[in-house]
Amino acid sequence: MTELLLDPNIRTWVFVPIVVITFFIGIIRHYVSILLSSQKKVEVQQIKDTQALLRSRLLRENGKYIPKSAFLMRKHYFNDKEAGVLKLAQDRAAPAAANPMQDPNTLQDMLKGNLVNVLPMIAVGGWINWIFSGFVTTKVPFPLTWRFKDMLQRGINLPSLDPSWVSSASWYFLNVFGLRQIYSLVLGADNAADQTKFMEDQVSVSGAPTDPRAAFKSEWEALELFEHQYALKGIEEALLLADKPALKSRKKNT
Amino acid sequence: MSDSNQTDDKLPVYNELAAMQNLGSLDYCRIFTALLSGSTAGILGLTGLYGFIFFFVANGVLGLFVLQKYSLHYQQYFKQCYIIFSHGLFGSLLTYILFWTFLYGLVHVY
Repeated sequence: MTELLLDPNIRTWVFVPIVVITFFIGIIRHYVSILLSSQKKVEVQQIKDTQALLRSRLLRENGKYIPKSAFLMRKHYFNDKEAGVLKLAQDRAAPAAANPMQDPNTLQDMLKGNLVNVLPMIAVGGWINWIFSGFVTTKVPFPLTWRFKDMLQRGINLPSLDPSWVSSASWYFLNVFGLRQIYSLVLGADNAADQTKFMEDQVSVSGAPTDPRAAFKSEWEALELFEHQYALKGIEEALLLADKPALKSRKKNT
Repeated sequence: MSDSNQTDDKLPVYNELAAMQNLGSLDYCRIFTALLSGSTAGILGLTGLYGFIFFFVANGVLGLFVLQKYSLHYQQYFKQCYIIFSHGLFGSLLTYILFWTFLYGLVHVY
């Protein structure tokens, strides 16, 4: 293995700055996206639909805490053949599929998203490539096969150099991916600093609008099939008749 | 932190939201572990396989700490025992590699 001796100036002016720049650009991206974010407009009907679905799901999850009669009452409200909320929603006419391209708000949001995410990524990546090009910055402490050479030694033309040595551009990308989790530590879980997440969002935007009727149908089916089982059976006896161990364990858990 | 009640009959009851919260804080600990163990590995100058072994050992120690904190009640907080050891393990590997490389570069390369 060849040992290279690197100038300490490379450390001071290339190696450490790249880490600092990558980190602070993530932070800035987070705050700029907060600054530019706009409240999304939603239809009343849409909110009603989501809330109805949510309530039905909650009923399925927590229905075991209410007596059977109460459960059936709520189920009737959702699943009644004539007046059930979920049933009626299924028969409603399909909403006209909104074209996201015609809505100026969506367009504006997409533009902002590009401004915050794509532009810095290209600009900063290119800038780092340009300013710090051609430096061998560091060495990864594990051996790599020669296939990684193209990936990690971008901008260096040294055919016989061991692949564990890393160029500045690749060090930048290593930082981008490694710092993702640090942002969630510094900024909280739902942050906008992560540029890789944006690409996933973009994919989901381009997908077809989902039909609410399908969601209602599956929820209706799930509720119809749900079997009520009372989880608090005999809770009064346990409480009153000095059933000490049961009482104790319940107390501890609440 | 309590999220589940093991009722006497065979109906385990989970609060999804609280379970998510628990996994979230476990993730938090794991990122910190990756950060600290990565720095340690870099300063110690571990290379190759030893570094990766160190990562898994550090996470195993974290899992043991979590288990020790809840002693035998871990079932109240996590659905299965192995989740304590495995949740988000490979996500934090990238962070570990970054800090390992960073400190290794600072201490041993220059």
